[in-house]
Amino acid sequence: MKIKDHSAASDEQLVGAAKRGDMRAFEELVARHRDKIYARAFSMMRNEDEAVDLSQEAWVKSWQRLKQFQGESSFGTWMTRIVINLCLDQLRRRKRQRTESIEEMNEESGGVERQMPVVNVNPTEGLERGELRKKIDAALGQLSHEHRTALVLHEFEDMEYKEIARVTGCSIGTVMSRLFYARRKMAVLLANLRTEELK
Amino acid sequence: MITHEFELKLQAYLDGELPALEAAEVEGWLARDQEGQALLAELRNTTKALSAAGEVEVKLPETREFYWSKIAREIERQDREPAAVAPKLSWFAWVQRHLVPVSGVALLACLLAVMLVHSEKSSSQFGETELASEDMGSYTFRDQQQKMTMVWLYDRNDDSQFTDPTAVASMDQE
Repeated sequence: MKIKDHSAASDEQLVGAAKRGDMRAFEELVARHRDKIYARAFSMMRNEDEAVDLSQEAWVKSWQRLKQFQGESSFGTWMTRIVINLCLDQLRRRKRQRTESIEEMNEESGGVERQMPVVNVNPTEGLERGELRKKIDAALGQLSHEHRTALVLHEFEDMEYKEIARVTGCSIGTVMSRLFYARRKMAVLLANLRTEELK
Repeated sequence: MITHEFELKLQAYLDGELPALEAAEVEGWLARDQEGQALLAELRNTTKALSAAGEVEVKLPETREFYWSKIAREIERQDREPAAVAPKLSWFAWVQRHLVPVSGVALLACLLAVMLVHSEKSSSQFGETELASEDMGSYTFRDQQQKMTMVWLYDRNDDSQFTDPTAVASMDQE
């Protein structure tokens, strides 16, 4: 069945049409989900240009693999997995090029976070949602890629430990460790970041 | 002092990733340990803050048309490329692609085997000189006093180089 009004069609209808080669349907899917896909790439890479490139690459890949999409999840979720995998590949390539730093060596063992006293302040107290978001975003920007990835996948993509381990190619123990230190570091950063610094 | 193993267990408890039995163990331990309670509260606050705030809304810094045009161009390019690079293989092409390299390797192995056998044969002949020629003749003379053996080699067809020693001997006797 041919789609007459692409903007009024559901994602499922657009995916079906795109599978039959309807580029206009695919363009509509890109328009609907582009911000979300770009945002995920940006949250992992923290670099605008890289995020744009990787999100575009994800769309090209999804067009090529569209026939493999059987609708087990929503199209948006499927697309997000593609961009996450591309970001992880890019981060792995970058890590291979990078010389081993003290920070990197401390990623699993916790480094400074291991010695940090427990933070008793609740970072959500007395803050509006917008302010809190900015604070969280600024704190996320200060984490290492490994810690941020673990946190983003667990907290924003609702992935379980074993799923994170599978997509990142790490052991469950490593994932748990990274997530633990990422949370501990976030607690300190959220407590220390003053609202004025975010403006 | 909490061990790292227990810290991770505490976190797994918070995330609902512990089996019921272990979760009950953690709860029992938490009831008695203030340090553990404080750490759990910190982890919980961070998790709550992240889920309450959600992510900052990030917008793609490009227009819909420009962004799509780049994607469409790349799809078009990649759609053209595989057709040129990897055409559908015919049966003959498949045989060529998969069996030709195998037969090449087999041929090379045969050649090496032949060379090996040949080299073994030729090495066994070192140190021995065989005069197989029908045109070559030889005479041996043994002097017991000097303890010396002399061997004459001569060309049967060339009478000018050597004189037949038997003839010489017979001449001496005469």
